[in-house]
Amino acid sequence: MRSFYVRAALFIIPWLFVSASLLGQGISVSGKVTDAREGLPLPGVSISVAGAANGTVTDVAGQYKLTVPADKILVFKFTGMKTLEVPVNGRTVIDIQMESAEVGLNEVVVVGYGTQRKGDVTSAIASVKSENFVKGAVRDAAQLIQGKVAGLTVSTPSGNPTANTQISLRGITTLKAGTAPLVLIDGIPGTLNTVAPEDIESIDVLKDGSAAAIYGTRGTNGVILITTKKLRGDMRPTLQYDAYASVQTIARRPEFLTGDDYRRLIGEGIAFTDYGASTDWIKEITRNPVSHTHNLTFQGGSSSTHVTASLNYRNWQGLFLHSDNKQVTGRADVNHTMLDGMLKANLNVITRSRTYWSGVDIGDGGFANGNSFNNYVYRQALIRNPTDSVKNYRGDWLERNIYFYDNPVAYLNESYGQNEERETRLNGSITLEPLKDLKFKLLLSNNKWTEIRGYAETKKHVSTVKNNRNGYASRGTSDMRDNLLEFTTEYTHSLQKHRFNVLGGYSYQDNTREDFYMRNWDFPTDQYSYNNMEAGNALKRGDAVMGSFKDKWKLIGFFGRLSYNWDDKYLVLASVRHEGSTKFGRNYKWGTFPAVSLGWRVSRESFMEGLTWLDDLKLRAGFGITGTIPDDRYASLQSFNYNNRFLVNGVWVQGLDAVRNPNAELRWEKKEEFNIGLDFSLLSGRISGNIDAYRRLTKDALFDYQVPVPPYPLPQIVANAAQIRNQGIEVLLNVVPVSTKQLQWNSGFNYSTNKNVLVSLSSNTFAATNDFFDAGYTGEPIQEATHRVQVGQPIGNFYGYKSIGIDDNGRWIIEGKDGKPVASADKSPDDKKVLGNGLPKHYLGWNNSVRYKNFDLNVTMRGAFGFQVLNFQRLFYENPKVTQYNMLKTAFDNVYGKTRLNDDLAYVSYYIENGDYWKIDNVTLGYNFNVKRIKYIQQARLYVAALNLATITGYKGIDPEVNRSGLAPGDDERDKYPTTRTFTVGVHLTF
Amino acid sequence: MKNRTSIYTYITATVILAFFSSACTKLDPETFSEIVEETIVYKESDTSAIIAQAYSPLRPVMADWMGYFDLQEESADAIITPARPNGWYDGGTYQRMHRHTWTSLQEQPASLWSRVYTGVVNTNRAIWLIDSGTLPVGDAKGSLLAELHALRAFYYYLLCDNFGNIPLVTDYKDLAVPKQSKRKEVYDFIVKELSDNIPSLRETAGTAMYARFNKWAAKTLLARMYLNAQEYSGATAWEQCLQQCNDVIQSGAYMLEPVYRDNFKTNNENSRELIFTVPYDEINAPGFIIHMKTLDPLSQQVFRMEAQPWGGNCAVPQFIDTYDPDDTRLKDTWLQGPQLTPGGVEVIDYIKYVESIEKSKSNEGFRVGKYEIRQGAKGSLSNDFPIFRYAEVLMMKAECLLRTGKAAEAAIEVTKVRQRAFTATPAKATVTGADLLEGSVYNYGYWNNGQVTEVQGGADVQYGRLLDELGWEFAAEAHRRQDLIRFGVFTVKKWFQHRPNGEGRKLFFIPQEEINKNGNLEQNP
Repeated sequence: MRSFYVRAALFIIPWLFVSASLLGQGISVSGKVTDAREGLPLPGVSISVAGAANGTVTDVAGQYKLTVPADKILVFKFTGMKTLEVPVNGRTVIDIQMESAEVGLNEVVVVGYGTQRKGDVTSAIASVKSENFVKGAVRDAAQLIQGKVAGLTVSTPSGNPTANTQISLRGITTLKAGTAPLVLIDGIPGTLNTVAPEDIESIDVLKDGSAAAIYGTRGTNGVILITTKKLRGDMRPTLQYDAYASVQTIARRPEFLTGDDYRRLIGEGIAFTDYGASTDWIKEITRNPVSHTHNLTFQGGSSSTHVTASLNYRNWQGLFLHSDNKQVTGRADVNHTMLDGMLKANLNVITRSRTYWSGVDIGDGGFANGNSFNNYVYRQALIRNPTDSVKNYRGDWLERNIYFYDNPVAYLNESYGQNEERETRLNGSITLEPLKDLKFKLLLSNNKWTEIRGYAETKKHVSTVKNNRNGYASRGTSDMRDNLLEFTTEYTHSLQKHRFNVLGGYSYQDNTREDFYMRNWDFPTDQYSYNNMEAGNALKRGDAVMGSFKDKWKLIGFFGRLSYNWDDKYLVLASVRHEGSTKFGRNYKWGTFPAVSLGWRVSRESFMEGLTWLDDLKLRAGFGITGTIPDDRYASLQSFNYNNRFLVNGVWVQGLDAVRNPNAELRWEKKEEFNIGLDFSLLSGRISGNIDAYRRLTKDALFDYQVPVPPYPLPQIVANAAQIRNQGIEVLLNVVPVSTKQLQWNSGFNYSTNKNVLVSLSSNTFAATNDFFDAGYTGEPIQEATHRVQVGQPIGNFYGYKSIGIDDNGRWIIEGKDGKPVASADKSPDDKKVLGNGLPKHYLGWNNSVRYKNFDLNVTMRGAFGFQVLNFQRLFYENPKVTQYNMLKTAFDNVYGKTRLNDDLAYVSYYIENGDYWKIDNVTLGYNFNVKRIKYIQQARLYVAALNLATITGYKGIDPEVNRSGLAPGDDERDKYPTTRTFTVGVHLTF
Repeated sequence: MKNRTSIYTYITATVILAFFSSACTKLDPETFSEIVEETIVYKESDTSAIIAQAYSPLRPVMADWMGYFDLQEESADAIITPARPNGWYDGGTYQRMHRHTWTSLQEQPASLWSRVYTGVVNTNRAIWLIDSGTLPVGDAKGSLLAELHALRAFYYYLLCDNFGNIPLVTDYKDLAVPKQSKRKEVYDFIVKELSDNIPSLRETAGTAMYARFNKWAAKTLLARMYLNAQEYSGATAWEQCLQQCNDVIQSGAYMLEPVYRDNFKTNNENSRELIFTVPYDEINAPGFIIHMKTLDPLSQQVFRMEAQPWGGNCAVPQFIDTYDPDDTRLKDTWLQGPQLTPGGVEVIDYIKYVESIEKSKSNEGFRVGKYEIRQGAKGSLSNDFPIFRYAEVLMMKAECLLRTGKAAEAAIEVTKVRQRAFTATPAKATVTGADLLEGSVYNYGYWNNGQVTEVQGGADVQYGRLLDELGWEFAAEAHRRQDLIRFGVFTVKKWFQHRPNGEGRKLFFIPQEEINKNGNLEQNP
């Protein structure tokens, strides 16, 4: 211990002298800091002395006091407010009014391994603060910024309460690798639902390669940096309570034939069967879901120790019976500063558990990850005969012996599953600042995620009633551990007009997954559910199966960054990451990912001085290389497994089979991206925005190449060879049309467009066998691919038969390859053509927030244009020929205005519709109560919100915002969990 | 200041050293649930696992979805998959099979190619492991290598029969893109491989060598090569075929099972008639799905199955009409008539009539019932799929005799095989040499709503009676295509809604995806 003090003293002592000399002769200054708009005191404002190390923060009443040389400048900083620099000029009382910094150039933007002033940013980074988040029943972090960031499309294609949003950034850059962005929560990898949306302070999105390259092989899909709520400075302890309750309705209900429709059509000679009853099968399996969410946040501490702790509980119901999501998230964040600010320590704990009902037997492979909706039940409800009854006269479930046709109500109620996830994240960091501008930071993190699953089917389930299993159950558990160590060194230095910052670091991450599952059936009783697995007989007989696996990867990186600023006029940022992964092949263990970006603050040039209406104008240009890592942990290895059995001397021996074709050359996908941008602010921030244009080329994209057997043991090999290009433009414009003390109106527009093309599928080593491959699948009984991915074409093309009419017999007429009509019976695969594209060409968002006195109104609108959707419900259920199953009412409409369809189910362009839509997505009306006179309450707010309120579209399906991920975007799957409209009432209280 | 600098230098140096030390930069993958090749040390006890991986690809080849069974039967005149109310159009794949209008994109041949070549690669690997001594096997080396060569010859026989001109790859370590050989070269290679290795093969029959190539299985395979030599090589080899058959017969290792069905029951591994089979097990070795494809979903209740069958293929009515009504193989092979649950409730009545290949009711057509479906059957059966039966050796012998002018001797062999099928009417079992010189009783012609139109008949088929005999004995055993080709029927006659589509249909096209992957491959004419 003694030697520690000696060393510490060695750090500190020289600086005591330095500091003392700088302080010189000081005077005592005091004052009060208030919010310019409302006149309220601002606690926790940090006040520092320019060029010196000392400073203080305001107290609860906004008061401060410090000793400062009379000729110095005081710097007032507060998150969300414009930083002020005020010369002391010998005054002893300085009261300050701080203004909101919505377009402030000193606003802090979170970048990789640090922060930057917004004014210094040279790459495409979007930053959204909590006050601009989408309000209401928000499912995860991404939905908070839905429609707010140009180029980042966040969609909610599923109404399942366990489902997450879907994110895509700047087009499709890969054919096979993952597309999820890197999500960092306070610098540590996580997911979009690691922390509760209510606990988030800001979200920053690194969009272009020059910003993301410091994250190397994880950077291609963009980086989402989530900053949780933290207390800065000294402040009276506060307690915030948020609560809201929501109800949901289906966005649009598909109109199927009712029992009465059946009887009417039977009268017309249609071969339906009338069982005499009238059952609304959809109604039988759905409900009016009610959800509620509570969040409690405590913040407090002293000048050296700050604590933020929060507890979040959500209990959400889904549209389908039983479907739910219950989640408790707790977080504690403690910051401690010691040794006169030289050493800072942070400890953070997040614990999360979620439980949800599941109707899905997860079984093999594990990782339910929210998969709880059994689409089979929904499908059966849609196609079940509406004249049939739920139960027979004896009170038993009524089943029919038809192929793939089961009573959905029985299926739903005779199965029961529960999945529970628990996550614990422990992390901490120590920052040492031995010199004023030199910072060493060590960050350690350990995340544990566990899932336990159970699923059972009773003896009244069709698994027994039809398939003679005599009760069924399965159980499984998965576990994931992730360790992270990062060490960074940062040095900042200013010399006259030069300001630079150098960062260097090392990062080590490993990730281990384990999984186990078992199944059993033939149980003596239903009472055990899945809690007495050994009671079943199937496992003993060898019928039932078990499974398990474990895998691991490691990622190691070295990185550095240099930023340079000359007179706030010329900005340079360069970074490089050298990174290696265990996933890569023997010959390519390490990759290097460089980036450089430049900025020019044109408005700071002398020739611009006369333009008083121009606050800021900055030109940016950047280039960066990022990577994407293969998903498969071991794709490069030659491995064997004991697998397929054969009878050797009367014993079923497992053969030692090849697992895959090894590829020692396997490596990262490499994306090169150019980005140019323009940031501007006019009329004192009344108009501001930015424009970005980018061009990104993915090289060495992974693809499953077909190879001959022999010499290869298996017909496929994963290799890096394809190329994909994306280019686009993003525009963000913020306008403040009205800004008075009573009324404030902020309006934000964003627009983005992206053009995608598959450049090549081949390299010198691996050539694709065709210049295309098919993607997407209709499923039985049509059994055709829906999409074709072809060289020279954009990803997302629908590919199939183009219907141009219908003949007198109700059979399709197809446009043949030569453009001439072909009868559907004579069509051949050569006649297929591109029928549209499922990826929107244009995205538009328009966000408004209006504050009038104590009322505030937020309206978020967004739309997507120039794309098509394949309406699977129409494809399967708008055909009157198969009378075994129920169908849409429109099935009996004339096709092409001519006659009723009388053809087999077929994938033709008739079912591809324009998907263009404009959504009034989020409307929130809030009222802030005047609580000045209430002693214990600082803030009280009541609000009502609607999510997915209205959709203006010509699309006939449930919701045109369908799946856009993967290689078959625009397929509106018939079994998709329908999206919903959500209405919310909520309160916010600060004590 | 100097002191401070040295401390920072120290810290920095330590940190940098720590980073670059191997522990922090080591990227060797750790595996847990798979075995990386370099780490395997083969021991003699691994021999079974290596033998198993060479044979197990036969399972998907034979009785699995779109397997060899479908390829041989649905292109021939006994079995069809008509469209059903619950589907079975599937893009027209079964109709193309029936009408011989398949293209190089047809799934069934493509499956056969890729599954069989997986067997070739695995067998080459086993040969390499043993030959190189990587896998020490002691004294068994000679017989094991001979066995693996015979197994590989069987894989190549399947390719020779269906595709003709194919690449012959024999070296596991040769990574070159393979070159194509002509069918005659493939034939010569198989015959030589078998002839060279037969002397070293084990002669044991029974459990120890069950479902593996012993000397007699290899000889039966060689006999089948010679039987079809005209087709494969352009010259007949009846005497050589006869020689191999006689060797098998004289070995006394096999016999005709007195009860025909015992060859196809759930536990048929005890049959003394089976010379070579592909063994399946509903739990350990799934992939026998013939019952799933043929049975209507309602038959689930008859057999109290744990899986709902799919309801697809059935018998061609014209083929059923060739049977003598007293031939017990008619009932032993085809499920027909009312189907009753164990409680005696009729759930479906399988009728002989089938409307057309494009449209049929769910109960139309007799179903493949040759392979016993036990009560409580699962999605996969435990019956072993018979490849060579002793009955076939007798019938091959009969064919050689018949074709070399010894009809009377041939009739003796055929009669032996027929006897157990006419136990109630033994007089009908006997055939004469003159009978065998007759044509076929199959009423070839185009099926139109239950009427045979464009009638060709079968009287003109040389030795047609023997072809009929083969049909009755080996129906639904994936023999029919080869037999129809040998008897000159396959590309000549019409049956059900099939019309001939040219001589070239004797071979399947080399799958387009294989040509795309291997520039050395030339398409069959």
